[in-house]
This record gives sequence, structure tokens and C-alpha cells, in this order.
Amino acid sequence: MLSRRTLEAATAILTGAFGVAVVVSSLNNGIDWSESGVESGTFPFITGTIVVVASLYNLVRGWLRGKGIVATRQGLQRTAALFLPAVLFVALIPLIGIYVGAVLYLFGSLRLQSHLSTVRSALIAVVASVALYVVFERLFQVSLPHGWLGAVLDL
Amino acid sequence: MSFTVKFTATLVAGVAVFAIAPQAGAWTPTKPIEFIGTAGPGGGTDNFTRAVQAAIVKNKLVDQPIVVVNKPGGSGAEGFTYTKALTGDPYHLVFGTSNAWSQPLVSKVAFNYTDFTPVAAMVQDEFLLWVKQDAPYKNVQEYLAAMKAKGSSAKMAGAQSKDTDETLTRLIGKAAGIKFIYVPFKSGAEAAVQLAGGHVDSHVNNPSESVGQWKGGTQRPICVFNTKRLPDTGKVTATRGWQDIPTCQEQGLNIPLFQQPRTIWLPLKVTDEQTAFYVDLMKKVQQTPEWKDFIEKSVQTNTFLSGDAFTKYEMQDLEQWKKVATEEGWLVK
Amino acid sequence: MENFDSLMHGFSIAISVPHIALMIGGVLLGILVGVLPGLGAPNGVSLLLPLTFGMAPVSAIILLSSIYWGALFGGSVTSILFNIPGEPSSVATTFDGYPMARDGRATEALATAFGSAAFGALVGVVLITCLASWIAGVALQFGPAEYFAVYFLAFSSFIGVGGAPPMKTVVSLAIGFAIAAIGMDTVSGSVRLTMGVDELVKGINFVVAVMGLFGIGELLIAVEEELHAKPVSSTIDWRTLFRTIAGLPKHWVALLRSAAIGCWMGITPGGPTAASFMSYGIAKRVSPRRANFGKGEAEGIVSPETADHAAGTSALLPMLSLGIPGSATAAVMMGGLMIWGLNPGPALFVEQKDFVWGLIASMYLGNIVAVILVLLTVPIFAALMRLPFFILAPLIFNVCVVGAYSVSNSYLDVMLMMGFGVLGYLFKKLDYPLAPLVLAIVIGDKAEDAFRQSMLMSQGSLGIFVNNGLVTTLVTAGFALLLLPPLFRSIGLWRNARR
Repeated sequence: MLSRRTLEAATAILTGAFGVAVVVSSLNNGIDWSESGVESGTFPFITGTIVVVASLYNLVRGWLRGKGIVATRQGLQRTAALFLPAVLFVALIPLIGIYVGAVLYLFGSLRLQSHLSTVRSALIAVVASVALYVVFERLFQVSLPHGWLGAVLDL
Repeated sequence: MSFTVKFTATLVAGVAVFAIAPQAGAWTPTKPIEFIGTAGPGGGTDNFTRAVQAAIVKNKLVDQPIVVVNKPGGSGAEGFTYTKALTGDPYHLVFGTSNAWSQPLVSKVAFNYTDFTPVAAMVQDEFLLWVKQDAPYKNVQEYLAAMKAKGSSAKMAGAQSKDTDETLTRLIGKAAGIKFIYVPFKSGAEAAVQLAGGHVDSHVNNPSESVGQWKGGTQRPICVFNTKRLPDTGKVTATRGWQDIPTCQEQGLNIPLFQQPRTIWLPLKVTDEQTAFYVDLMKKVQQTPEWKDFIEKSVQTNTFLSGDAFTKYEMQDLEQWKKVATEEGWLVK
Repeated sequence: MENFDSLMHGFSIAISVPHIALMIGGVLLGILVGVLPGLGAPNGVSLLLPLTFGMAPVSAIILLSSIYWGALFGGSVTSILFNIPGEPSSVATTFDGYPMARDGRATEALATAFGSAAFGALVGVVLITCLASWIAGVALQFGPAEYFAVYFLAFSSFIGVGGAPPMKTVVSLAIGFAIAAIGMDTVSGSVRLTMGVDELVKGINFVVAVMGLFGIGELLIAVEEELHAKPVSSTIDWRTLFRTIAGLPKHWVALLRSAAIGCWMGITPGGPTAASFMSYGIAKRVSPRRANFGKGEAEGIVSPETADHAAGTSALLPMLSLGIPGSATAAVMMGGLMIWGLNPGPALFVEQKDFVWGLIASMYLGNIVAVILVLLTVPIFAALMRLPFFILAPLIFNVCVVGAYSVSNSYLDVMLMMGFGVLGYLFKKLDYPLAPLVLAIVIGDKAEDAFRQSMLMSQGSLGIFVNNGLVTTLVTAGFALLLLPPLFRSIGLWRNARR
């Protein structure tokens, strides 16, 4: 269960932090008028400042006015069940490459979460990955990462 | 008898193997090769990359397919940074200009020329001074006088910042005592359109970037930054060709030679055989009719530098860059 | 009618069996790259370029421009079905296309999009045919100050139509500008906002950002709120398809207005993306059904699609006549021109009449071929919506991961996309509008460059923005669009309060 107040505050802090990072970073580029016109940090500095100020406003307003629930526990669980395996898949790409990763990810998601049969899950996972391989690697000659595993097997 | 035959056969086979051996030791590619262009499609570096590709593909100089990939982000830094990470991979060549050693001087980029194995410098692109077709000045002296009269509002357009175009602008400014406003655009083509529209006074594009505009009668070159005139390739417009354009020096603007090399690099830690293969390949490219055609159409000067000659050239050029960048206060802190 | 004769001559070149075959092949390949996020028309064109070295220039450009048409159409498919825009210019199509498809009306949404796109493209070609030389002249009027004014106009016509909380709109817009500034800065050549990540020197690619913000963000919302798409009827619905196409003329006002906006933005440097946003923004302001916008309103699809294609088509003209490519694909084609031995520029129209008019004729034919082929594929794509959501979701994730990687062979992009996915989820959940963020990412840095170039040229004087009739008009129109609606609103409130 997630209250609107918490989420509003968290998002405002997130955007505010990004704003601060932009402001700090832009100071290194200079925020003045120089020989070659407006210095390159000026616009990021202005936008960063706007982000910080507006985020503070949203933080206060969100905290004061935010009422009720934005997401239920079940809803969040469903989101996590979709997102976390995907995060794991992305995290494993440098190790096992995109193709093996995709087969495992699709098979896992379909079998464990969607409760498809083992055969169907495996079939969809393999067919989808082979299709990707054919389109990207063969047809358009875009080399997708094969990962550490690919290097070991010398693909 | 049968023994003799067998022995002879073995001997012949042995000799055959021995004869092939040196070639078997030489390296040949067994996978598709990727050419990384450090400029956007349509720019000078992109045309160079695709011309090399076209020469190889049309003449079947390599058995493997060749893919051109544009990585123009960060004025080419994207392509160099990408290639730098591919240590030991002989299937990626990066195509650039002198930006391989000049860009790290003036911006905080994550590569330097020492991060690559040099293959070759293949052409020298020329620079010309261009003005609007209907501008009143007929020669360089009139142009310079008019710019001087403008005080500090003489505008020069160019591609990128702190790169060849801006350097040349500063050199002209210094030689003639003019304070130019240099307005950087994304590409030479954009600079040419700005001149055609009369938004700036001049630019210093390469021939290929503005030849279409010259033919179309929107702008014309008034001098070339070389010690001698460009070769005769026939008429470009109804009345004039490249050979008719005077050198800047003979017009009294004392900048004898300003050119831009086009360079090819491999990642670090490739073997000598692999480098040799590509040096050899580029030499073959230079012999093709397609290449001769490309050189003629784009009005560049054909050269070929590899190995020590390339490194020596690079060091000289780098010194020049350091001098200009220090004087202008461009050196990255 | 010299142009007309030239065009007829062009048709006689373009209409031949091999050329029509090239068009069909090109369009089909284009649809494929357009549908796959991450791959785009530049990939297809770049891949086929070596094959064209041996062809006659006319045949080569016909093949390449057919890929371009196919990809433009294909790009709308994923926008509508999965909320994943494959090209910047199809973002605005998601606003109403996706809700309509989720409502079980995928066929109708796709047919509306394709029909209006074809209309826009044809208006663009007619314009090129009739006014080629005049247009080239207009484009030359645009210096940095005018560029900036056009971008400003695009922003002001779109900002403030969403009805989202104002401060949230501001945050969204400002973050978009900051993201656009990441990487190498054209005007100073210095590297900005990379926060220690060297690879960011290349900047953040738009496709990566929208795949995360729209595609992944929408998936997360949909799974959390169980907003599963309504099932599409299982029979192939040709009748709906024809009825939708036949019903398009009733949106004639929107069609004409959007085509005009598109052509204008294509000739001026605004480009297709700005055109589609602007057209959507204006449609929403003037439509009597504006309350329905964002919920699957047909005019919300007609407006951006027509403008996008009208702009995409008319943008090819500056490429031919001036040598400035209006889009990445046009740029690759321009590279091809040089290799075939043609120099883009004003002289092309004089020296290479066969080539230019052959190409223009092929634009007519190519678009007709493309719209027929793409309409035939509608049932196939609509059938995708019949897959249950729980099977589709991991597949979409997978395609997004691969797509993000293939944009520039970068693992960093995949991680960025996931990050944008979370941001998209949070923003959507809390009513932060995403459209201003996207618009700022796409044209923010161009607007900034133009502004700073103007400042360089004027030595810091803002007077450059009221320097001549053209720029003054543009800037005034921009301010009018920005300030008048809130002004009217407050006058209305004040009157109501007095009553």
C-alpha cells in the first residue's frame, strides 16, 4: 500500500535531486557571458534552478494536499513481478548476453508468472529470441551483446 | 614404387603447405567489418567512410560485408569513445579527421589519439574562403577591407566549435587584423545555407560542402588556403572551375597551407598482421577507379600516410593545434 | 505549367516494372524497420546503400525513399498498439491512438492514422511539385533568430493544453531541457552534464527516453492498475477498415489545417516532430470535442499524423535544393547522392532534371504503394492485440531492451531506458505531463543552440528577435498562443465572479 503523500514527496525529492545535480554540474561550464557568447552552463543552470524551485513547491504541496492511496499492495506486487525479473535480465546481459538472457527471462516470466505450460513457455521464448537474432544479427547486421558467455564460447 | 609415389606425394604436399604458409600467417577477416564514422550522415567524414566502403564493395577487395555506422554524438567523441573500448577487436575501424588528436586538447572527452592504433591518413581536404554570390567584393583584399570596416560585427559561420573552421577563422583574423564573430553550426552544409540566406558574411567550407551551392549561384569561393591552385577538373559553373580560384597567399592573405587530413584507426592491441592487412587494403582502395572518382568529385588531395610517416605528421599537426589552442585560451582545464 | 510537364516526364521514368518492384520491396522493408523500435529508416537506408552503388541514381533514390515512406507508416503502428513511439514524430500519435486501441478499436486507430498520414504526404508532394523554387527561397530566410522563433512557436502552441498542475508541467519541461543539454554542446564545444559518465558525451538519445517513458512506464501502470486492453474481435475486420477510411473526409477541417501546419514546419526548419506536436496542440485548442482528447478521439490521431507526414515529405525539398537534410534518413540519402555523383544544391533541379522529377513522381507512387501495403497489414498488427496481456508484457519488455541497445550499440542506453521507465511510471501516476518533457528533449537543444547563435550574432542584444517582419511575426504569434488562453480564462473567471 502506497499513500499519495509518500509518492508525491519521493518523486519531488527525486526531481529536486536531479535539479541540484544539474545546477552543480553546470557551474563547472560557466554561467556568464564570455567572448564566445552565452556560456555553455547558463541554460542548464537556469533549467536546473527551475527544477529545484518547482520540486520544492511540489514537495510541500504534495505533502500537505496529498490524500489517499495511489497503489494497492496487490497492484505493487504485480508491478514488481513484472519489473524485477526485467531488471535482473538487464543486469545479466554483460554476463550471458542478450539472446540467452532473453530466452531465460521470457521462459521464466511466462512459466512462473503467466502460468503457461513448460512447453509453450519454452517455445515462445526460443522462437522470439531466434526471431530477434535473425532480424538484428542477420538481416540488419546489428550485433547485439553476446556477453561474457559469448566470448567464452567464441561466438 | 608405391613407396616412391607416396613419398613424392608427401613431399609435394609438404612443399605446397610450405609455399602457402606465409599467406596462412597473414591475417584475413572472417566476420563482417564495421566502419565507424565520427560524423553525421552527409558530412565530409561520412562521405569519406562511404567512399572507402564503396571502393571495397564494388571491387570485392574483402570477402566480408562492410557496415558503416554513424556515431556523430559529441562532435565525433561518441565514435572514438566507442572504438576505444573495443581493445583488441580487429573488426572495427574508426574514421575521423585531425579531431582524433585535436578534440582532446580543447574538450573534456574520454579518449586521446594514443588510445588507437593508427592505420592511415588518406586524403587532405582543402579549405576555401566563400562569400555570397552577390557580395560586392571581387577579391580577397576587397573582402578583407569590407570586413575591417564592419568593426566587430563581421560574421563567419562554420561547423563545430574550436575545430578546424574556428581555428582557420582565428588565423585569418590575426593575419588581417579583423575581429570575427564566429558562429558555430552543426555542419558545413548548414553554414553554407546561412551564407546563402545572407545571415553571415562568409565561411571556410571544404569544396564538397559548398560545390552544390556554387553551381546553384548562391555563393562563390574567393581563395583557397593552399600554396598552389587546385588541379584542373573542368568547369564547375558556366565560366569557372576550381583551378581558377586564386590561392589566398597570392591575394595577399598570408596563410599558405591549411588542410584537414582524413584518418583511419583501429582499437589498441590488435596484432601487427591485422594492422598490416588494413594498411594494405587502404592502399588497394586508393588504386580503384571509384576512389579516383571520389577524390576528383570532392576536390581533395590524395595522400597516403601510414606507420611512422603518419605518426610524424600527427606530431607536427598536434604542435600546431597546441599553439593555436594556447593562444586562444581553448585548452581544456 | 513547366513543373507539370516535368512531373509527367518524371512519371514516365518512375513507372516501370523494376521501379514498382523496388518500391514494394522498399516499403515492406521500411514497415519492418519502422515497427521495430530502435531500428529506424536510417538503419534500413544505411544497410541498403551499398547495394545501390551499382544502380542508376533514380532507381536508387526510389528504393531508398520507399524505405522512408514504409518506416514513417510503420512507426505509427507501435505508437498506437503499445504506446511505444519508434520515431520522435510519432509521439503525438500515442496520445489518442493508444487509448483508442486499448479500447478495442485498434483497427480503427490504425486505419485513421494511415489514411490521414497518406493525405498529409500527398499534400506535401503536391506542394513540392507546384512551389519547389519558391519554397527553396523561403527556407533561405531562416537564420538562427528565425529558427529560434519557430521552435518557440512550436513550444507555445503545445504547452498549456494538457490541463496538468502547472508546477508539475514546469518540472517536466525543465527536466526535458536539462536532458537535451546533456553531452557535447555545439556552440562552445564543451561537454556538459555528463556527471562523470564518459559515454554520455553523445547525449541521451530520444528513442531511448521515449521507449522508457512511454513503453515501459505504460506497461508498469497497466499491470498495476489491471488496465488490460479490451479484446479485439477475432474476425479480420475489413469492413471497419473501409468504413474508417471512407469516414475520414468528415474530418476535413482537421486534415487541411494539419496539412498546412505540417507543410509550413517542413519547409521552415521546425521539422516533423515539432509539426506533429503543434498540430495536436492546436487541434485540442480549437476542437469542439476537446474534452475527448487523450481518450481516443479520432481527430487526436488525424492531426499529428497528417502534420507529421506533410512535414516529412516537404522536408525532402530543403535536402534536394539546399543540401540541408531535414531528418536523419534524408541525411543518409544525401550521403548516397554524393556517392552516386550528384551534389545536392540549387543546381540539382537544373542539371539533373530526370533525377529530381523521377524522385518527385516516385513520392506520389511510393506513398500510394505504401498506404495500400500498410492497410493490408492492419489485420496482422491488430491481431497482436489479441494476445493476452500477460504474454505480451514480457515480449514488449524484451523488444524494448533490444531496441534500446540497438540505437547505438550501447548497454548504457538499456540501463537509461529502465530508469526512464520508472520515471514514466511515477510521472503518470502523479499527473506530471510527459508530453512537455518529450518535446523539450527533442527540440530543446536545437532551440538553445539557435538562441545562443542569435545572441552571438547580435552581440547579446535581444533586438535580433524583432529585427525583421518574419521573425517579429513568429515571436508575436508564439507569445499570443502562450499568453492569450490563460488571459481569456482569467477574464472569464473574473466575469463569472462578478455575476
